[in-house]
Amino acid sequence: MSRGMVLDPTATRDDDNPSPGPEAGVLAGKRVGFRVDRMWRAWDWISELWADKFREAGAQVSFWRSAGRSGEEGVRCEREYKEFLDSIDVAVIGLANCGSCTGWTIRDAITAANTGLPTTAIATRNFEDFAHEIAARGGRSGLRVHVLPYPLNEKRKEDVLPVGEEHFRQVLQTMGASLAVPEPAE
Amino acid sequence: MTIELIRPGSKPETSESKPLISRDCGPEGCEVDWLASRRHETDLDVDSFNAFAMQQGWGDGLPLVPPTESRVRAFLAQNDRYPDEVIAHLPPTQVECTVEKVVINAVMAGAPPAALELIIAAIASVADTDFELYGVNTTTAPVYPAFVVNGPVRDELDIPYGYGCFGGVATEAVAIGRAVRLVMRNITGQIPGKTSQTTFGSPGRVAGIVVGEWEERSPWAPLAERRAGISGNAVTSFGTMGTMNIIDTTSHSALDFLEMIGKSVAYPGCNCFSGAVPFGEMMIALNPICAEIVGREMPAMEDVQEALWKFASVDADFLNRLHRDQLEQQGRVREDGRVYMTPEPKDMLVFVAGGLGGLHATGLHTFGTSLSQTRAIASPIPAGEAQAAE
Repeated sequence: MSRGMVLDPTATRDDDNPSPGPEAGVLAGKRVGFRVDRMWRAWDWISELWADKFREAGAQVSFWRSAGRSGEEGVRCEREYKEFLDSIDVAVIGLANCGSCTGWTIRDAITAANTGLPTTAIATRNFEDFAHEIAARGGRSGLRVHVLPYPLNEKRKEDVLPVGEEHFRQVLQTMGASLAVPEPAE
Repeated sequence: MTIELIRPGSKPETSESKPLISRDCGPEGCEVDWLASRRHETDLDVDSFNAFAMQQGWGDGLPLVPPTESRVRAFLAQNDRYPDEVIAHLPPTQVECTVEKVVINAVMAGAPPAALELIIAAIASVADTDFELYGVNTTTAPVYPAFVVNGPVRDELDIPYGYGCFGGVATEAVAIGRAVRLVMRNITGQIPGKTSQTTFGSPGRVAGIVVGEWEERSPWAPLAERRAGISGNAVTSFGTMGTMNIIDTTSHSALDFLEMIGKSVAYPGCNCFSGAVPFGEMMIALNPICAEIVGREMPAMEDVQEALWKFASVDADFLNRLHRDQLEQQGRVREDGRVYMTPEPKDMLVFVAGGLGGLHATGLHTFGTSLSQTRAIASPIPAGEAQAAE
């Protein structure tokens, strides 16, 4: 039996930013942006529910919907997403609820976080580990990820909305956000 | 909403490969070819090395060839690339895929050194943002890239385009496909259950598909020429969910064959009818016997694509109500009440391959919005000619 040296066939990135990034802080007066997609109606329902609550707290809310990420439409998506990030103060990015959509959710969340925006990705339980793995491989191992139950999109609206209600306080924690009304300036 | 048409995104690079200058450094390789990869000391006999490789997570379950420095250098020495050349940045890590890493994986797969330029062109093609490798590698779907090879390189590398060309014929194309798959595992980090969420996977994820087009039996121009204007050696990558067989022992006219194929590939659960997918392509391999019949009546490929496209559609009412409603909201139900697989006839990709027994066509359904890519396969210019040109 001979011993010898073999060359390592793998390649990994060495850099990592383990920081979760800045906290969202008091939401009043801030522009909160939701990234949604065309796959998950449950995420549409929950993000709309949370958006209403953010508005009640004095935030402005906008939405951007991810679509095809290749060809001309992909180029348009990239441009629109950049414009969207330029127009908000806090990013909530979802939904990591399948393989490719977790990949794209985390990719878009990393893009947002790398611009310095307080950023939280939203995943369902089954894709939680995967979301963290992809975040680490994308160089942001500390990315904030809030986890919703799984399965989710298979449920009816009347069953999904209570999930959104139940998770609202928790997602605020993950975001490092507060609904407190700021003291008026003297 | 309206039908999203498939148009390529803006690309910084062209589909032309850069010129390669031939260099002959002998079997030991050029002195400047320092190899940067980490070295591991291990037993080199087959059983021990493969146990070690499995432990390291390098393998696909089949035996691997130990990538010793001498094997890697010998492989490089038969080619015209420097090992530190970056071929692509592959998602999700965006890590550099260098020639050295490609060669190490090609050695492990048992691929021949002569296949390096094909492997590199294949990797470069899937790295194009329009191929959407990010989704291809992470998805729950079983997708993997299939590669259709054009040009004389088919025969030089024994890429099959006749009997059993999609799998089962014993040629080095299997090892070439496996080399690309090992790159996906070891460089992009595509590992089921970890970085790939593929629900079922596919046997195609081990060695992929590397198939030639039987250009000499095709009534039409080669696929790469039709798609990208590339004559000669080229590779077209297509993210496929697998192969689907369509048997037809009855038809005898072009339209009959195309109707059978078009209607067969258009099933409700295919990628192109998903409400999550705004657009997709479809690839079909016609056997030479069928192609000859179709080509006699339809010498223009555009007519073949048009016919296939019309048949590859379903009445919206055939779909489940929820699915139909979703597609209707997306504007994908057309005025004739039908949903078409692809936005336009040109998106039905056709090539000729397969044995002379005929009777079957193969459908390859795409994944998500992954768009097929065609790249020229580089061939070196002899150093003397390059100097003379200067």
